[in-house]
Amino acid sequence: MASLQTMDTITGPSMSELWKTRHDKSRYQWSSFGLLTPAFGLLIILFLVPMGFAVYLGLTNLTLVGPTAVKWGFTGMQNLERLKSDTSFWSSLRVTGVFIVGSIVGVVILGYVLASLLMRAQPWMRMIVGGIVVVAWMMPAVTAGMTWYASTTGGGAFSSLIGMPNTNLLDNNPLLVVTLASVWSMTGFAMLVMGAALRNIPSEAIEAATVENASSWQRFRMIILPLLRPTMTAIVLLTGLLALANFSLIYIMTQGGPGNDTNILPLYSYQQAFTYNNLAYGALIGNVMVVIATIFGVFYVRITARRL
Amino acid sequence: MSEIVDESATTLEVTAPSSPVLPPENRATQRTRARSATLHLILGALGVLFLAPMLWLFLASIDKNASWGIEWPHFSLINFKHVLTGSLLHSLWNSVVLAVISTAIASVTGVFAAYSLSRRKIPFKGPLLLFIIFSSGVPLAIMVIPVYEIFSRFGFLSILPTAVFLSVTSLPFEVYLMKNFIDAVPTDLEEAARMERASTFQVLRRVVIPLAMPGIAAASIFGFVNAWGSFIVPLILISPSNQQPAPIAIYTFLTLPKAEFGNIAAYSLVFCLPVFILYAVSSRLFREGFVLGGGVKG
Repeated sequence: MASLQTMDTITGPSMSELWKTRHDKSRYQWSSFGLLTPAFGLLIILFLVPMGFAVYLGLTNLTLVGPTAVKWGFTGMQNLERLKSDTSFWSSLRVTGVFIVGSIVGVVILGYVLASLLMRAQPWMRMIVGGIVVVAWMMPAVTAGMTWYASTTGGGAFSSLIGMPNTNLLDNNPLLVVTLASVWSMTGFAMLVMGAALRNIPSEAIEAATVENASSWQRFRMIILPLLRPTMTAIVLLTGLLALANFSLIYIMTQGGPGNDTNILPLYSYQQAFTYNNLAYGALIGNVMVVIATIFGVFYVRITARRL
Repeated sequence: MSEIVDESATTLEVTAPSSPVLPPENRATQRTRARSATLHLILGALGVLFLAPMLWLFLASIDKNASWGIEWPHFSLINFKHVLTGSLLHSLWNSVVLAVISTAIASVTGVFAAYSLSRRKIPFKGPLLLFIIFSSGVPLAIMVIPVYEIFSRFGFLSILPTAVFLSVTSLPFEVYLMKNFIDAVPTDLEEAARMERASTFQVLRRVVIPLAMPGIAAASIFGFVNAWGSFIVPLILISPSNQQPAPIAIYTFLTLPKAEFGNIAAYSLVFCLPVFILYAVSSRLFREGFVLGGGVKG
């Protein structure tokens, strides 16, 4: 086919060639392969290969320094046994769960409340409050962690706001504070997406319900919620995935501490790999994260693929 | 829309015979007004709560005696002067290098892939698209330990290979975004160009890329912001300290024995600036493409 095409460009198609090649159906073109190669090559080399490598690494005794940094090998299920009896891991898993669920609940509720209130608010209010929330969302995680550290440490903004300027909120309720910071930094996205979805709800549906004397709760429950469900599902999954991987925010604020109170899986994996030098064990914990992310990812694919 | 809804609700109710005190319209308008006031009060409170953490950043950056607290600043720009020199400035430059290179790689390879996924007949197209969506959902930054081991083996623990890895972390979503935009570009012009015997590259460069530019720009901005804000990837994958980007410098501030509050705030603010500018410039593109809203209609 390719040769036919190059001949075309030199001589123009002869009648017999036109006859042979069907022009009513699309055909494979070799140039497509060339167009796809750079992107998929990168994805294979820097995503699929490391992913496979990580599975293997998790079952070895590789360390960052020392003799097993150079001469390392397969140790089978040893790391898995260790993982099973590692209380820090299980507490980290629990903390991760609380952090993810808390982030999702906070983001969905606040995002919806903001979106629906802003829709009815005066334009100046919409601009100011909407702007603030979006700026919070755009702020890079490192800076967000920085400002939250500043405002929840002793003498910070929130401590002053609740009238106890010398309380260190971050030390007293570490998990709650980092979860709030995570909600703060992701609500803007949910607000924008839900705002767009709310504007797409036909006003006739709501008017009809109002004429039927539906209460505002019924209107929310029976009309808005079902129409918003696909959007909400997307937000839940994306928030979950982003919270799962939110290393930077927590690392800046608490580094996983105090104790293991905010040590979510990415931090614990990093700690094992680069503080305690157990690269292999860190990789295994990373694999656990990949499994969790895959579960979210499968659902994410299922709802996104419908729109292809 | 909602105002109409509210009024019809109240007028329906006032037909019921239980309004002895006030004339109907009056009560209706009063209720709407009270409701609107509550709404603005709630929004105001939420706005204050969202603003509170940021406030420190702005106030401390222009305060020459800043602390962690919120206080009226002793106004001066000395903090900005301090942080825009020496190694701190160099870290910002490293961030620029990292983000520009990774964006360029992701956007150029991405637009080719997006074009051919959008227009061409490709074997296993369905699975390829699923793979793209899947890897755009899964945060690739959690792959950093195996990538560290691979990079350290090849002596790649420096800024350029890290930029390539960062490009891969934003590539899937960029491809997905650009494919959706190219899907929306009409094929007529492309066919006309084909008639004139334009090569694939010419079609891409002269027809598809200009027409899908908003999508490509939105995707590139996503890639840039992703690389710019990335913390764990350069923390682990870049070993020479003079190649570290700005996020690592911000973190280093915190590890210093004596915190320089004003400098931290000023530097963080400077670091945020490109992100805010890009967002402001492109907020229209973002609303169309970046945000899933349009696509996730009920």
